[in-house]
Amino acid sequence: MSIHSIRTKGETMDRVEDRLKDHEYDGIKEYDNPTPGWWNLLFIASFVFSVLYFVHYQLGHGTSVVDEYSADLEEATAVAAARALASASKEVTEETLATLAAAPDQVEKGKAKFLVVCAACHGQRGEGLVGPNLTDGHWVHGDGSLMSIRKVVREGVIAKGMAAWESQMPPEELLQVVAYVGTLRGTNVPGKPPEGEKAGPQGSSQDGNLR
Amino acid sequence: MQTETFTYDDDIVRKFAGATMLWSVVAMLAGLFIALELAIPELNLAPWLTFGRLRPLHTNAAIFAFAGNAIFTAVYHSSQRLLKARMWNDTLGRVHFWGWQLIIVAAAVTLPLGYTQGKEYAELEWPIDLAVVVVWVVFALNFFGTVAKRRERHLYVAIWFYIATIVTVAILYIFNNLVVPVAPLKSYSIYAGVQDAFMQWWYGHNAVAFFLTTPFLGLMYYYLPKAAERPVFSYRLSILHFWSIVFIYIWAGPHHLHYTALPEWASTLGMLFSLMLWMPSWGGMINGLLTLRGAWNKVASEPVLKFFVVGVTFYGMSTFEGPMLSIKSVNALSHYTDWTIAHVHGGALGWNGFMAFGMLYWLAPRLYQRPLHSKKLAEIHFWLGTLGILFYIVPIYSAGVTQGLMWRAFDKTGYLAKPDFVETVLRLMPMYWLRAVGGLMYLAGACVGVFNMLMTWKARPSRYADEVHEAPALAPEYSGEMPEPMMPAHPDHSVLPIFYKLRYFLRVEWHRVWERRPLQFTIWVAVAVIVASLFEIIPTFLIRSNVPTIKTVKPYTPLELMGRDIYVAEGCYNCHSQMIRPIRAETMRYGEYSKPGEFVYDHPFQWGSRRIGPDLQRVGGKYPDLWHVRHMESPAGMAPTLVIPGYFEFLPDWLKPKTVMPAYPHLLTEPADFAGVQARVDGMAMLGVPYGDALKDAEGLARAQAKKIGANIVAAKGPSGLEDKKIVALIAYLQRLGTDIKKVPGADDGVTSDAAPSDGAAAGVKAEVGRP
Repeated sequence: MSIHSIRTKGETMDRVEDRLKDHEYDGIKEYDNPTPGWWNLLFIASFVFSVLYFVHYQLGHGTSVVDEYSADLEEATAVAAARALASASKEVTEETLATLAAAPDQVEKGKAKFLVVCAACHGQRGEGLVGPNLTDGHWVHGDGSLMSIRKVVREGVIAKGMAAWESQMPPEELLQVVAYVGTLRGTNVPGKPPEGEKAGPQGSSQDGNLR
Repeated sequence: MQTETFTYDDDIVRKFAGATMLWSVVAMLAGLFIALELAIPELNLAPWLTFGRLRPLHTNAAIFAFAGNAIFTAVYHSSQRLLKARMWNDTLGRVHFWGWQLIIVAAAVTLPLGYTQGKEYAELEWPIDLAVVVVWVVFALNFFGTVAKRRERHLYVAIWFYIATIVTVAILYIFNNLVVPVAPLKSYSIYAGVQDAFMQWWYGHNAVAFFLTTPFLGLMYYYLPKAAERPVFSYRLSILHFWSIVFIYIWAGPHHLHYTALPEWASTLGMLFSLMLWMPSWGGMINGLLTLRGAWNKVASEPVLKFFVVGVTFYGMSTFEGPMLSIKSVNALSHYTDWTIAHVHGGALGWNGFMAFGMLYWLAPRLYQRPLHSKKLAEIHFWLGTLGILFYIVPIYSAGVTQGLMWRAFDKTGYLAKPDFVETVLRLMPMYWLRAVGGLMYLAGACVGVFNMLMTWKARPSRYADEVHEAPALAPEYSGEMPEPMMPAHPDHSVLPIFYKLRYFLRVEWHRVWERRPLQFTIWVAVAVIVASLFEIIPTFLIRSNVPTIKTVKPYTPLELMGRDIYVAEGCYNCHSQMIRPIRAETMRYGEYSKPGEFVYDHPFQWGSRRIGPDLQRVGGKYPDLWHVRHMESPAGMAPTLVIPGYFEFLPDWLKPKTVMPAYPHLLTEPADFAGVQARVDGMAMLGVPYGDALKDAEGLARAQAKKIGANIVAAKGPSGLEDKKIVALIAYLQRLGTDIKKVPGADDGVTSDAAPSDGAAAGVKAEVGRP
């Protein structure tokens, strides 16, 4: 059975196949074949579906795009909260960060992330570019302690163009980046001239308070 | 009845056919070049050669120059034969031809120079738009004049499709291009934001419908049965799919705006009408392919039919894919990716390209009155083209799905798996290379085709023979068989009368009457299109709740407006969207999703349709001013250092692609047009943008803001002397983008005269963007 001979029941009016119409245009003739049954069915089905869909989603109680987004967001917020609770037990201190900074494999991971997200502004070796030089012992925000670096990386200094990275990467990666930045301190890579206040190579205080 | 003798005007057909061939190569060359620019960003050698400026040139050339001339070739050739009449007026035909070619040349000059309206496929600036309208009216006059003096009582289906094309394109083109001119080659759309987006995609989608579909269906209905020498499969199917296309297509435009700030009811309608379009479109495919029953042996030996078979098959594929992509959840993945590009090229290269070439091969021996130079070369063209399409679309489908999946991927801890946008682009590089190979093959095929036609033309007779035809003129009144005026008596009581009536209606015998009344026919087409349009346009414009206003959203300052104009001129919207969808992967990457009220001063809207670069709607305040300076100067220098396992590891570091963003060093050296800003602000004010103080001294305000930004850059140890350059205007605009919604209502009420970057307003910006 070829595709065009599939008929709906209603086609009893003309069973004759390939009957030519009696007109002709520049030699082109046309058959009076009925439209294929499957074509009729799918056409009607698409109408019926559309009416039902519109009634359900636009006039009825179907969820809108924004509803779906809100539900998704709620779920994600719950997950994030659980994560925050879980990490709350592990308090990060200057010592934790110093331990990380002393572990070459952690520093290496921090460096990889630094090259991806930080180097565009702070240079490949922390020498400064758009953002300040991280190797010259001068600090624009905070005192150069690992905790103050962590604070700046987490919360950013939006007014100066430094983004807040806390929501952009998992907590352990952020700590690794801080550890790597810690190892850059005092390496004095020639680059952007110093900005901000001079601090000791390991920071002048341990409390991480920003000025 | 008196018999009349007449000849056909084939000279005009030869002109359009030649133009079709010429522009096909030009359009494809532009396409190949911009495809290579994505693989080798260094090819963005000069401002006028950048991707952002050349992509509109490619699309406009493919649509209006190549497809356009192919349509005119078909209409001028087949209408004369189908109506048994020479074109109404030979001179009008020449005005049409040369006018259209001049428009194309004007487009080819202005687009690379950055003169653009900033809306896809509606980029041409207002003087060229006016020329398009005039030429289109000339075309319509000539066509309907021919219809009026026809010697064939009834109109054949090809003519119906031509009528739908001429009427609808005129309506679409005029209403989407309504602008307020502010300079000889600069204008602002009268619509803003949501409304502008709606109008644009009402136009954009129906340009596909009534420029790339209906005229090509008309072309198919003439040349395919001619070449196959077989009757058309079903007259009834022609009628049903013609009218359903005319009725349904118009509604489908909003499917380009799923998940955007467009009201959801409009987007839902767009999706549903797209689904309902599936069968009407396939009606055309079925009628084409089934006409070849009993002629398949000819397909094997005749290149013309090979082109048609593949063309119609691609039409079927694209018109299945279109409805599928319009389903919201599919669109969530496909939108902004290369999937759309693959979809479009399946249609453009497969359907439009192959139907046009098939027609040209059928026409060549008849127009040049010599046998085709080489059938073998035509076969080579066919295979190069077919393989070229596959090499083009398969990698680009893959690129689209790859990028879409990367954007939405989360890692185990709930963070984006690919937080760096540039990685999602660099991953596509191998696919971009393959696509360029596919494009090159298709172009090579076209060149073989053009060569073949050229050789055929060279062998032409010294004087073309003008065949003389004979036919009686039409009597003023129709006196042939009258249609059954009444429905036949209900024969069988086993069928409900209503179904019997419906069946009678669907047998469409009554349609014959319409076919001999062109005026009535044309009016019904226009009514169908206009009514369907108004159903969506009126609510979009009238219901206030469609665009809830946001108190803190204020007009752009004069300098920001200048920057926005630069953004538009450089064609940034060709790679960057400004529309964050309410999808978590998206809000996590870019920030809060876009609200309709944020765009009320955006003439034109710049939502974009493709993300080769990241979305920019919330880029304001994300980077310091100096970052933007460095980034425009050398994007590669500011790109993250990515280590992508398995990619480009064989390349030395300096050869590894780092970004596809072109460098824009000219923005740091070219002066900004401060003198022209007053006219632009006044233009915006005419459109109802509340500019307040800026109306008096736009230039002074712009210079003051520019000076501040220049000082900020210097303070951050950046280059000096930028305060009168284009870059500061662009930075002002970028830093403003998407920030208004974050402001506290009332916080800057002191400057309610808005926009004006008085100290107060600048302070408002400062709190947001932050300048040292």
